Amino acid sequence: MSQCFNLPPLDIEAYSLENGLRVVLNRDPAVPVVAIAVYYDVGSRNERPGRTGFAHLFEHMMFQGSENVPKAGHFQYIMKAGGTMNGTTSSERTNYYETLPANQLPLGLWLEADRMRSLAVTQENLDNQREAVKEEKRLRYDNQPYGQIFDIINQMIFRNFANAHSTIGSMDDLDAATVEDVREFFRMYYAPNNAVLSISGAFDSETAKQLVSQYFGDIRQQAAPPPVDVSEPKEVAENYREFEDRLAPFPAFLIGWKIPPRKTPHFYALYLAGKLLYDGESSRLYQKLVKGDESVIQLFGFTDERRGPSSIFVGAIPKPEKDLSKIRETIMAEIADLALRGPSPEEMQKLHNQLLNDTVRLRQSSMNRAQAIAEFTLYDDDPLGVSRELDELLAVSPEDIRTATAEYINTENRALLDVVPAAHKG
Amino acid sequence: MNHSLANPPVPLPPMPFSIPDARHLRLENGLQVVLLPIARVPIASLRLAVFSGEADDPSEKFGLTSALASMMTEGSARYSSRELAEKAERLGLDISVGSSADFLLASVSGLSIYLDDIFELAGEIVLRPTFPENELDLYRRNTIENLKFQRSQPNFLAAERTALELYGEHPYARIAPLPEVVRDISAEDLRRLHSRNVIPNNAMLFVIGDYNEFDVRKKIEEVFGEWPASEKQDAQHTPPNPRRQRTISVIDRPGSAQTNIVLADLAVRRNHPDYFPLLVMNQILGAGASSRVFMNLREAKGYTYGAYTRLDLKKNAGEFEATAEVRTQVTGPAIKEFLAEFERIRTERVAPSELEDAKSYLTGVFPIRSETLDGLTSLIVNQYLYDLPKDYLQTYRENVAAVSVDDVFRVATQYIRPERMAIVLVGDAAEVIPQVSVFSEALTIFDADGNRLEKAKFTNAESISPDEIAGKWDITLDFQGQEIPVTLHLKNDAGSITGTLETMLGNGIISSAEINGCRLTAVAISELQGGSIELSINGVIEAGTMSGTIGGPILPVPMQFRATKAV
Repeated sequence: MSQCFNLPPLDIEAYSLENGLRVVLNRDPAVPVVAIAVYYDVGSRNERPGRTGFAHLFEHMMFQGSENVPKAGHFQYIMKAGGTMNGTTSSERTNYYETLPANQLPLGLWLEADRMRSLAVTQENLDNQREAVKEEKRLRYDNQPYGQIFDIINQMIFRNFANAHSTIGSMDDLDAATVEDVREFFRMYYAPNNAVLSISGAFDSETAKQLVSQYFGDIRQQAAPPPVDVSEPKEVAENYREFEDRLAPFPAFLIGWKIPPRKTPHFYALYLAGKLLYDGESSRLYQKLVKGDESVIQLFGFTDERRGPSSIFVGAIPKPEKDLSKIRETIMAEIADLALRGPSPEEMQKLHNQLLNDTVRLRQSSMNRAQAIAEFTLYDDDPLGVSRELDELLAVSPEDIRTATAEYINTENRALLDVVPAAHKG
Repeated sequence: MNHSLANPPVPLPPMPFSIPDARHLRLENGLQVVLLPIARVPIASLRLAVFSGEADDPSEKFGLTSALASMMTEGSARYSSRELAEKAERLGLDISVGSSADFLLASVSGLSIYLDDIFELAGEIVLRPTFPENELDLYRRNTIENLKFQRSQPNFLAAERTALELYGEHPYARIAPLPEVVRDISAEDLRRLHSRNVIPNNAMLFVIGDYNEFDVRKKIEEVFGEWPASEKQDAQHTPPNPRRQRTISVIDRPGSAQTNIVLADLAVRRNHPDYFPLLVMNQILGAGASSRVFMNLREAKGYTYGAYTRLDLKKNAGEFEATAEVRTQVTGPAIKEFLAEFERIRTERVAPSELEDAKSYLTGVFPIRSETLDGLTSLIVNQYLYDLPKDYLQTYRENVAAVSVDDVFRVATQYIRPERMAIVLVGDAAEVIPQVSVFSEALTIFDADGNRLEKAKFTNAESISPDEIAGKWDITLDFQGQEIPVTLHLKNDAGSITGTLETMLGNGIISSAEINGCRLTAVAISELQGGSIELSINGVIEAGTMSGTIGGPILPVPMQFRATKAV
């Protein structure tokens, strides 16, 4: 880098309650806003065969009311206070979060504590949320062009059931679930000792600590959930599949590779290799395929970051009449070049500047900070990890990127999914 | 401190929130500059706004400003398109140019250590774009492809027709260029438009973020000081004519499972003094997931996944719009509910608690929106572009808080005028028209390309009389492959049709049914387990038999039926 640049450190204070709840406070008084994120250590990775979709079902159940909060009351309370909120589920965790005017910190904590302590797991709520999940599956997966391809390629990459199955899960499994199963799932995974509470923004630390202990202090600890085995052989489960998509207007393809877990040097190197290949208009594949050959309508790629074996994808929707296999050859040739010669000095400069810019921008938002801190705390018991991540990424050398590309993605050990529009099949 | 947990906690004392005042200067060439140094995070954002937008395009060349915006980042005196992308991304900068009806806006932002480069790139794309032939060719082809794709999207068709209905001859009537205009755009057209509109005395520069003000003032002179002023062309548009009557426009998309509904009227320009009462009124009526129309059409009736109202206020005029995507068979009932909500808010004062909830939402989210530099920058840019008061952001929350129940009542009565709204419907015209003709006689039908269609095509010439339809109908319903018998009794009471629908769910009361040509539309309401279930009946009568669908919020897909008249 041409100029010296120092990112101011984040003010982070971490501690645990007696019931095992890990609490992280990140004070930043610049704007009178406070963000609260609660991360539960449960995702699709915790689900067994015959019991899929539970983690995601809870993301719905958690808005169905608890001892002192009526059904749908969570949303109403937040909205009336001028806040925003949501929840999401991944393979790794389920999270719930809200951003509020700073003086509404007690409201946010009260709402999160009430549902952690006393969620209303009733037959009625289970029944109607099962239906809501089915509706969501129809809307977001079954009824969208290309809506199912990421679930399919995960099954092609991973052999271990914990990694391979989707977060939306099987509707048959959900139908078979009894209210007792669901209560047991809540007791085990939604316990304070299985969660992280992360607060960012404008607040007084002593007040925050007092509120946290007042609302969360008496929630009962539970026995730790069973450990999860996410180990994988190096080989992908399946090299090729053709998928007929009745909604897709154009053919498309997706290539996926199995790569090492997050935070490992190889993962960092491959994350950066991916950025060079597909991120932005100056990326190698954009310049080759969108601009140069004018052969694709859309190019995309990303890494799926997990605590266990992870993955990286590149996909494209080619223009009509273009030869898909030629586009794939171009992609593999570009990967081979990166594996042989590594990134150029200009590319390294680009990576460094983009990492700095992205990090600074993400840190402006209290919600982004609260989430990043919660992740490092939940996955690594390392609340300060968030401040070191940038340095670890900046330390990756061109040679690291070259060798990781050669070992993990310039290889036949990959999954190729061809999406064929049903109407076009001859 | 041992509060009970049963009730929501009392908020802490509110924290002060202030947006610092900006500094202004004007260069000799007329360029107005707004500076707001904020050292919170080490990034800086530059925006250059031009006070000419898509609405200022010559009418036969509508689409030029949008093309100019896209082409400004595709090559400059010093850099090719690829070099611009490479330079920006190598430094981690974000660079873009966009256009709206009223403005063109170039934006470059990134780490403050690259402030010199931010200025250099801004100078290149704003002052010296070259419009290379090969890039223009790619733009034309991709834009025409994209226009084709948009025409397959019902929300685009709805927005396009709504703008035409509201704005008539005013340039806001157009939201997308014609393909033949795009095909003919030349580099010379763009050069001419650029030299006419992108001039310092028609522009405003914003620099917001972490920087040294002395350096930035020097930089501004260096990059934009020599930019020559020239004569500014002030386009004068006559304001759109107020609407006089309610109209219905149906855009036929045969086979649509859903109807996109828009009910719209002209409102006010963005800097109108009624802005805050309108904002609060709209929040109560339909701006979010706890508003009246959402609670009614989605939560109570189950007609739709979402129903909202919004204000789209531009520089010279604005509009109020209610929208929902509903199952085809409840198009008529959904419009009825919208109209009832409009009537309610303009004839009854809102409850004080509703007012307080809406105001506390609006004042609460305001600081959240300004948390990032990008969020803050767009608030400030909009304040200046729409010529809002100098202390607009500083007094925003006070202005929201000052809105009273009477203010909301006044603006609702004045601006929510169901009797003159434009109703725009994109869906299956044959299914939709019989349900909606009751709402207005002024009904026109179009295809997806905007061509007028004859009404007769959708209504059978042979009309059925109320007497012919009265009597007992034996219906066979197809419920997931099972045949279910149902009975429909209809009565003709001096031309008004009422009746009952006897089903397993109990007897549904039909308080009014409509005949349109050979079509019957009716809604039957059954009381069941304390709630009411609504079934909508749509049938076509031919030679003594009727066929059609029965649907309702409890049914994922409407059931097909056939019926014969009992003698």
